[in-house]
Amino acid sequence: MNAIEMKHVNKSFGDFAIQNLDFALPQGAICGLVGENGAGKSTTIRLIMHALRPDSGEISVLGVDNASPEFQQVKEDVGIVLDEAYYPETLNAKQVGSVMADTYQRWDAAVYEGYLKRFDLPPKKFFKDYSRGMTMKLAIAVALSHSPRLLILDEATSGLDPIVRDEILELFSEFTRDPGHSILMSSHIVSDLEKLCDYIAFLHKGQLRFCAEKDALRDEYGIVSCAKAQLADLPAEAVCGVEQSPYGARVLVRRALVSSAFQIERANIEDIILFLVKGEKNA
Amino acid sequence: MKALLKKDIFVLIRQMRMFLVMIVVFSVLPGMNMSIFAIVYCGMLPYTAMAYDERSKWTQLAAMMPYTPGDIVLSKYALGWLAVGFATALSAVANLILGHFIPSGYDSSLSGMLPSFCIGLIMIAVTLPPMFRFGVEKGRMFFILLIVVLACGGAGLVQGVVGSDEEVPAALNAFISLGVPALAVVLTAVSIPLSVAMYKRQKYA
Repeated sequence: MNAIEMKHVNKSFGDFAIQNLDFALPQGAICGLVGENGAGKSTTIRLIMHALRPDSGEISVLGVDNASPEFQQVKEDVGIVLDEAYYPETLNAKQVGSVMADTYQRWDAAVYEGYLKRFDLPPKKFFKDYSRGMTMKLAIAVALSHSPRLLILDEATSGLDPIVRDEILELFSEFTRDPGHSILMSSHIVSDLEKLCDYIAFLHKGQLRFCAEKDALRDEYGIVSCAKAQLADLPAEAVCGVEQSPYGARVLVRRALVSSAFQIERANIEDIILFLVKGEKNA
Repeated sequence: MKALLKKDIFVLIRQMRMFLVMIVVFSVLPGMNMSIFAIVYCGMLPYTAMAYDERSKWTQLAAMMPYTPGDIVLSKYALGWLAVGFATALSAVANLILGHFIPSGYDSSLSGMLPSFCIGLIMIAVTLPPMFRFGVEKGRMFFILLIVVLACGGAGLVQGVVGSDEEVPAALNAFISLGVPALAVVLTAVSIPLSVAMYKRQKYA
């Protein structure tokens, strides 16, 4: 079963549109949703959680159509962390816990308190006095304290220092040790996604450019560094993006289509995405 | 809904201490006008809670949590009803106590309490649907307009019915004691589904 499935989803806002989005997150997997600001990542997450209604298409979460009345119950199984915590600023962590205990049927106060201790979050300090790292840790503590099967994280690690980010990524990694747990995580910090995710979905201008296994992407693409004069020797169908400098060129290529005469370096996910975006801009 | 109500109460108690003190003071001051003022003040608490929700972007998070649109809308009505009920009860108790200490000329009867409570409910019922549709900033304009219309209309009605004679006619009395509560019930019954529809429309806009 797929934890999330989107079929031909369209949503238009006039000057921006999500177009024909087909996407699936297999159960037990971690998928990174990557794209520049305004690419449609947050809109996609709102569509998945039915906080926005699509113009057309179907979306199911944990096997349930998100437009059906049954989806209300499925929300119990989904932990949400948005780019900010979005709790009223005059609440403290203890009050947030009290509100959530009446929100989620499976709320576990002991687990929540455990996370507060683990994250060094003072229970009576007002939320407005929290640092960004503390804010996001509180949101994550809430998301993990009602036994979710699916975590949806929208820019949950952006703006955090590397130490906190690493701590949080470790926590997500722990969460997916249970094969029934899945994560959809949007970010524009590609290195975080590369560290954690099994799948990468790249959203650009409201369109899904690819959704593939991280290792398959690394196997499919490579980088050729060559002189500008050698560019013509590369088969046109193999070239996905070119970066030229006075000293030569770096080319993102499909490995299978390039002869062994060229030395092909390993491409990381950030390279692949940057080349694809730049390639489109230069086209 | 209990969670949402609890959240609003936590927020209001912390943010609105002075406001709440004023409500208590107006509730216990002698005279029906002060009680009505306190009750109307309480009827405004749902907008304040909504303004805090908007400021913290709580509404965006709540839309993804296991709250139904009905929960979200009803929690604001319940907050208003509780606040209006609290101010009414406080005024009633204060009225009874003051009646014992102020020897003559003080009307300690509770006859005005029910209409005052109902005016609070009417205010909530009429103003919440536009708040859910347009947000608190624009919705507040509607509230101000309503207050002006009610004040002018009420004064005109009393002037027209009572005229120069100081005696309040039986018809007006009947309207105040029966018509106002009936109007509150009808408007509330219409207002809640309308607010749910407005909330959904705004949410999916």
